Amino acid sequence: MTVLTLQAKDLEVGARIDGQVVPAIRGLSFDLAPGEILGLVGESGAGKSMIGRSIAKLLPPGFEITAGSLLFEGERLPQMPPARRRALLGRAIAFIPQQPMTALNPVMTIGAQFDEHLARLGEDNRKGRRERAIAALAAARLPRPADLLSQYAHQLSGGMCQRVLIAFAFSSNPRLVIADEPTTALDVTVHPPILRLIAEMQQQHGTAVIFITHDLRLAAQLCDKIVVMYAGRAIESGPARSILSKPAHPYTRCLQLANPTMHSPRRALYVMPDQMPSLRQLANMSGCHFAPRCPLVVANCRQAEPPNVAIANGHRVACIRATEAENIATTDALAATTENSQRTVLQVDKLQKRYAIGDGLFGGARTVEAVKDASFSIAENEFVALVGESGSGKSTIAKLLVGLEQASGGRILLNGDDLTDPSLRHSAERASVQMVFQDPQSALNPRRRVASIVTQAMEAGTRHATWEERLKRTGELLAEIGLAADFATRLPGQLSGGQRQRVNIGRALCNIPKVLIADEIVSGLDVSIQAQLLNLLARLRSELGFAMLFISHDLSVVRYLCSRVLVMYRGEIVEQGPVETVFANPQHAHTRALLSSVPPDDPQSPWPALRPAASMSN
Amino acid sequence: MPAALLRSLGSPRVVIALCMILCIMFCAVFASRIAPNDPGDQNLLSILTPPFWVEGSDPAFVLGTDSLGRDVLSRLIYGARTAVLVAFFASLGAMIVGTILAHVSGYFGGTTDWVISRLVDVWMSFPPVILSLILMVGLGVGLDRVILAIILVDWTRFCRVLRSEVLVVTRHDYVGAARLLGFTHWQAITREVLPATLPLLITLMSLEMAIAVVVEAILSFVGLGVGANQPAWGQMIADARQYVYQSPWNLLLPALAIFLTVTSFNLLGDGLRRTLDVRLAESGR
Repeated sequence: MTVLTLQAKDLEVGARIDGQVVPAIRGLSFDLAPGEILGLVGESGAGKSMIGRSIAKLLPPGFEITAGSLLFEGERLPQMPPARRRALLGRAIAFIPQQPMTALNPVMTIGAQFDEHLARLGEDNRKGRRERAIAALAAARLPRPADLLSQYAHQLSGGMCQRVLIAFAFSSNPRLVIADEPTTALDVTVHPPILRLIAEMQQQHGTAVIFITHDLRLAAQLCDKIVVMYAGRAIESGPARSILSKPAHPYTRCLQLANPTMHSPRRALYVMPDQMPSLRQLANMSGCHFAPRCPLVVANCRQAEPPNVAIANGHRVACIRATEAENIATTDALAATTENSQRTVLQVDKLQKRYAIGDGLFGGARTVEAVKDASFSIAENEFVALVGESGSGKSTIAKLLVGLEQASGGRILLNGDDLTDPSLRHSAERASVQMVFQDPQSALNPRRRVASIVTQAMEAGTRHATWEERLKRTGELLAEIGLAADFATRLPGQLSGGQRQRVNIGRALCNIPKVLIADEIVSGLDVSIQAQLLNLLARLRSELGFAMLFISHDLSVVRYLCSRVLVMYRGEIVEQGPVETVFANPQHAHTRALLSSVPPDDPQSPWPALRPAASMSN
Repeated sequence: MPAALLRSLGSPRVVIALCMILCIMFCAVFASRIAPNDPGDQNLLSILTPPFWVEGSDPAFVLGTDSLGRDVLSRLIYGARTAVLVAFFASLGAMIVGTILAHVSGYFGGTTDWVISRLVDVWMSFPPVILSLILMVGLGVGLDRVILAIILVDWTRFCRVLRSEVLVVTRHDYVGAARLLGFTHWQAITREVLPATLPLLITLMSLEMAIAVVVEAILSFVGLGVGANQPAWGQMIADARQYVYQSPWNLLLPALAIFLTVTSFNLLGDGLRRTLDVRLAESGR
């Protein structure tokens, strides 16, 4: 019998909160054999990052391993003397970080950092180190690796930084690599090549990999085994394909149904109520922690925590009603994508935006074209998607439409009135194009209460609404956005990410806009919260009747919500048309690249982008 | 904001500083009631008497007399009036000028920001004490002139520090969102930006009060301060300089008064910064 690379047995990580120890991870067990890829899947707060941190002994303050064991090749990791652990970390155990741009030292060249790393690995010869670095970078499919050694992190794209870090990680021939959401911070189009690189390196070196992600579909494609985590507990584990094709835990099933489909027919999203309990709430919970959100909940679920039992070969699940999970189905009706209206509400004509870079006083100024001749129109009640990778000019178009930036050329017609006309700025016409900002943390004034935020439009200009009027409107708006009335007196800091985004939407709806611009409003959120918000938007459209420009990089979300799509690439709209037509028959190379970056819905069908046959480079 | 101010009362720094400032304020407000003698009364029969704990003191003059036989204690108490008036009005004025320019500069950016920032740069390249001395020569002596001179010199301090804070706040999407909802620039600045910069503003103001006390003392010391007929601590130090070997207390006592006042304003500023500044408050004080 071979020695397991990593073995966790009833691992428990406790967090000290208000003087009491709350288990952030409970009873976690898994085996990782050499050459295997284990996927740790869960939403934020599930505790999936704690594993990597436990191994590196980098748990946040107040967290510590309280029970169970964590064995690396038979050695107990937590009890290991610091010198021994230091010898392992970075050599036998390597890490691929989530934020590649910040993981590299900005003031050292790639070569200097690689040299330092190899010197630590015991390579004494300076010339030998240089050759090894070049070979490692070439193996990570980086073009011109010798030139790269003299470059700095800021001169590289995010994808290239991640390739450099993957080269770092595998250069020591590690036995275990921990990849914590390695593609989340990167553009969607570079996800497949990065994942492919990790898979290839893993095969070449025969490394065991722990792959931490929030994306079930992605994990199914890449991993051999999957552990699904919820509120610190492994609720389901087993072979990747069988977990996705036959999810036995209601949470896994719901998560799958909450994800919009990409290739199979559109279906309504399953919406789990509420959100994952926080550590503080966990302290006072008994029974199954998923029970409050579970569609199959029975009285017994709240009595005791369900045991983790094997249901098939290697497939374990912690649920007393596991056999019924596959019967969970979405009851909501499918949101209609279009309500055939031909009347154009917003017409954009050859819109341009140029930025001058450099002040022209010292050294030459040059202009950058952020938006080049963008033309499109949005009909009444229509949801139009704007997709493209970061830096393609999506957000610039949003700012131009709402007037936060002035156009360098072209026209924006709202019901025939030109919004670029300076005399129309700040008029009622202007205010009927509203925007929901990407980051609710930044978009909500932390000093205003929810009631004051959602009715902020009523204190604008010379109108002075009384508090009674504003509170009345607050009540209506909170009901629209699905928050309880007692949220009115809360501060944004007391809300969760999903609730903040609801308030963010509510504020834009106060004076019922004609056009709503939504800039990546679900991108930072968990799948179950994303499903709640997508259905909210669909419901609000049918109730209030507004058109929306929905900016996103997630094509499956676009397919669920929008009827038409605009594809942007380097400041230009390169393709536009009905969603189904464009997705079925993409014309532009960039549209094809975006489409291939979405993993297939069915875990059994192959993801062509992940196969080495496709020759893509970034 | 009011809650944060109340919370700051839990910090010992703030409480000690506030107690000391209240004592000084009390002296300033009720100077005519509590001073044992008229500060201008010259008593040429008993000049340079030492304070009560030194042998040869006169019980009528608890802290002794100066070279003209004026009561030191009374002059210290009336000096507090000058110091407090200058500290309050000079820092208030500097704050108003600096805050307005900082918000205009940081919020609008572009050319406006460039012009105001260069003005601050040029202004700050003059040594502040020299600049205020030159201003006093031009303006003439008197309490109001001292206040005006300090405002004209020290508004740049507020402007530069606040501008960078305004830049950070203005970059938040909620300021843009307010504009989209129809807020005018004025509304956006006063309702969205200013509340966020207020903690820094209050902190800066209490630190500026300490600076104003020192500047006033310097100006009085060189005789370009509030004028000879009004008692001021800097003036007392200047007067005592000639007789420092015969009567060191005349120099040390006003210096101590300045020291205590400046320390209490600095302590208050530091304590407020620790409680009002979100970044510091979160990391645990």
